Amino acid sequence: MPHVIRDKQKIGKKEVAVGGLVCTNSFELYSLYAFVAVFLDSPLRHAVELCTLLIEDHFGELFARIFSTLQRYERLSLPRLKFYSHLSDRQLQNGLTAMIQHHLVFHFTSLDDGFTYYEANPHAAYYLVRSGKILHLVADRLGDYAAQIMETVMYLGHASVAHLETMPELQAQIPSHTNGLSHEDENPVSQTEDDGQFAHTNGNHAPALRAPIFSTLKKLASHGYLMRVREAHFQSPSDNYLEAHRIMTSRADIKNMKGKKYIEAVQDGVKNLIEERTGADLSESLQVNGLPRGVKRKRQGAVTTNGINGNYVEGDREKKHDDWSDDENELDETPMDSDLVVTVNYDKLDVALRNAKLVQFAAESNAPTATTEVFKCLLRRIEYATPRCREFREIPAEGEENDHFSVPIELQDLVDLIDPDLDLSSTFAPTNPPTSQPNSLGKRPLANGVNGDHYEDSTDASNSVSRAFEVNQHLNLLSEPPYNFTSSFSQAVIKWRVEFRGLARKLRHLELERMIETRYGDVALRVIRVLHTKGKLDEKRLLEISMLPFKELRQTLASMQSGGFVDLQEVPKDSQRQPSKTIFLWYYDPDRVCSNLLEDTYKAMSRTLQRIRFERDRLKDFLDKTERSDVKGHEEEYLTEEELEILQQWRDKEALLLAEVSRLDEMVAVFRDY
Amino acid sequence: MASAGSVAELASQLYDACAEHPDSDRAWYQGALLDLNIIPKGPNEIELLLQCTQSLVDQKLFRLLETQNKRLAWRIVSREDAEKLSNLNPDESLVFSVIHSSARVGIWTRNIQTRTGLHKTIMDRCIKSLESKNYIKAVQNVKFPSRKMYMLAGLAPSEDVTGGAWFTDGALDSTFISSVADYLEYTISDKSWYKVPEHGRNKRVKTASGKADVKLESGEPSYLPHPPNYPDYPTVQELTNIVNSSGLTPVQLSEDKVLQLLNLLVFDHKITAMPDGNSYKALKNPQMVKQKKQGEPDLPHKPVKSLGENGMTEGPCGRCPSFRLCSPGAAISPETCEYFDPWMQNVLGF
Repeated sequence: MPHVIRDKQKIGKKEVAVGGLVCTNSFELYSLYAFVAVFLDSPLRHAVELCTLLIEDHFGELFARIFSTLQRYERLSLPRLKFYSHLSDRQLQNGLTAMIQHHLVFHFTSLDDGFTYYEANPHAAYYLVRSGKILHLVADRLGDYAAQIMETVMYLGHASVAHLETMPELQAQIPSHTNGLSHEDENPVSQTEDDGQFAHTNGNHAPALRAPIFSTLKKLASHGYLMRVREAHFQSPSDNYLEAHRIMTSRADIKNMKGKKYIEAVQDGVKNLIEERTGADLSESLQVNGLPRGVKRKRQGAVTTNGINGNYVEGDREKKHDDWSDDENELDETPMDSDLVVTVNYDKLDVALRNAKLVQFAAESNAPTATTEVFKCLLRRIEYATPRCREFREIPAEGEENDHFSVPIELQDLVDLIDPDLDLSSTFAPTNPPTSQPNSLGKRPLANGVNGDHYEDSTDASNSVSRAFEVNQHLNLLSEPPYNFTSSFSQAVIKWRVEFRGLARKLRHLELERMIETRYGDVALRVIRVLHTKGKLDEKRLLEISMLPFKELRQTLASMQSGGFVDLQEVPKDSQRQPSKTIFLWYYDPDRVCSNLLEDTYKAMSRTLQRIRFERDRLKDFLDKTERSDVKGHEEEYLTEEELEILQQWRDKEALLLAEVSRLDEMVAVFRDY
Repeated sequence: MASAGSVAELASQLYDACAEHPDSDRAWYQGALLDLNIIPKGPNEIELLLQCTQSLVDQKLFRLLETQNKRLAWRIVSREDAEKLSNLNPDESLVFSVIHSSARVGIWTRNIQTRTGLHKTIMDRCIKSLESKNYIKAVQNVKFPSRKMYMLAGLAPSEDVTGGAWFTDGALDSTFISSVADYLEYTISDKSWYKVPEHGRNKRVKTASGKADVKLESGEPSYLPHPPNYPDYPTVQELTNIVNSSGLTPVQLSEDKVLQLLNLLVFDHKITAMPDGNSYKALKNPQMVKQKKQGEPDLPHKPVKSLGENGMTEGPCGRCPSFRLCSPGAAISPETCEYFDPWMQNVLGF
């Protein structure tokens, strides 16, 4: 991809000219290392190994060599990098520019010695593994064309609007996409989770028409999935921090301050400056009333303009056509600023993925379908106002995390967003069941709301009132223990919000408990939960609460201890520390277990990827044959039946192993990102 | 001074009077005995009383007590017990009285030794002979399973010793616990889900045996959650009554015990405590509870995973016993791994 590299060289040079940082004293240097350590999440070998593997799979050996050298030696100038990596100047220059284009390498030019330092960006490297999931999500929500654009941007690392505009593959529709039928075969998931935009790209566009590139880009940007590239993005967060710190401390008005005030002023200033330099949100200017444009559901018709949950009425082709033109007006095709350079906003996409995970969690916890649907809408609404999963870099320790509520959403906004055809009433037991005694509170204002047939015979106003009431009921159900998915927040009007930190914690615990159940059985699960609720316990008390036979409990605890899930705290009664005069307390520290398991998960991902490579090597000659340019695409013509079978088996295998990697990535997301 | 014969007669009268007294089990003080009007009044009544009680004590019909304020008192012993005691030699009777004093709690052999001051071999002999005469029995204390403890043969051990309703013969009765717990779960589930009345769904027809399963599933009852703020989730009191009247338990369970079990179910994530702190809601509807129970015996080797799977539990790495040793190029490596192939074959079916 020569154009990519050329592009990058331009940007790279600009960067080189702008950057500047001095590590003035050893303290700053120290804090820099601390920062880097934090940023790498855990600079342990499995994460490093995984990132290198991913880069090698996606971009080849050159990138992997540069990346692993940078990870091993952390921060290097070009001569040092050349020395350690044993690569030629040409290779290094080409590699580095392309890697900078892909945000895989940070660079920074020091004002002190004039050297440019390069540094690996493991965060970006890791997100390579999540790209499939992200594209699926985008296709689900905004249609295949949006996913195609997204894919292009991912493939390029970042791209200017002008560039995207001229790309031939984004100009015309890809044939399979204009043809609804073949698409159905390809992607049944997005067919069921249909949405309006998808229908448009499908049926109503002749291939000759211009692809709606600007409106789709705007849609992606207004959802926050794409963001502007800023120059600061090419520097590591620690460089950005130190630079901002240097600027703040050298400002005259701050220099005059003293003590606490000074520290606070510097902190605030640094935060604001970083925000100012890295802020890349495009969504705000494109949103209307906190909603991305085109998302608002039309009140009068039962037609969705966009894929909120998208079960539009069958056979409403005519109406949808009208809607399309509405949409066209709403999302204007006016060209965007062609100098704008966009890239994928992974932080925001994590929010969207977390929401999807939470909806799945709610569904698994036996919430009725309609309730899950309501929850989905609430989360979607909150997503638009949530730039990232959490405001702090690291997940705080268990018990030290306060409640962080999301933005509250007004009930009425939510009601407008929910598909009017969704049957909300019949998922609850009637408040006055004929079989039970009439002691229910009769809170339901509409008696005939019970049957769900009141749409026909009630007026519009009362309809919306009862609708609001029903939505509220569903949200109330979600707010019940033990999961507490939602919580209400009432001032003048009822608002609902979500406590994401607590839910993220519950997701983490769920993953841990799944592993414990598989490895040690349900007895262990009970023990773990008792320990988690009660804190540190001695054996006798544990026995009493868990009501397990002594022997079984001991065995379970011992095997879990060797597995690293529980631990023993010794409390000696005297200075001799004799075992007979020592109290032994069992405890369970989810934070530690989580971080260990995260490492294990990285390792499992690496191993699975390595296995794919091994499996490919096994079939190397055969696969080389299938990838020959004359064979590829004409497999049926050139390959024997036996070979076709082997090919199919290989494809199944690869798909299975990649699916496993993606499942492991889900765990990483839960442990690290949510 | 009264003759020996009259003393014996008086003594037996005294014993009968004491035994017939409605409050015969109390400690008898000198004044109380005199108030029975058996001992003739006179200047030497105290002396006579002393002689009578002494003769009764000799016959083991009275036991001498010393109360807290150093006053002498006696307690009567039933004639059968007295007969038993009179057959014992002094050491044995000493051991017996110590064990007797421990009542329903039982006493540890080492404590008997310190209380009686006897040598271990003598004490062991005494205990053996008492046990063979069926006067005392060994009991198992759940708190100290390794201690040898004894109590009178006729007594039932107290709850502290047996551990309460959940223990049988000093061991935790898991089957009993799980049966009561399952029953509770089902009961709560039944009360916290609304069963859709079955009109219009009795299409179930007798079909050929092949299709029976499918038909059964469509005919199974469906459940709906109650609306929020539903006030009728079962409370601890209700559940205690239900369990006690179910005939599942040989003994009456107290609310404490039921609460203990309910907490257990909460830890098992089968039920959840409602915010009012007193009532409980089941997380699975009755049908799911039933299915889970039926599913278990069918698949003994494959435990039912209530929580579902994740990447680590599905893949071979998460279950690999040598995961820590695995690294590329080593003896255990992704290339030489023997778990991947069976796993892939298993999942893909070839």
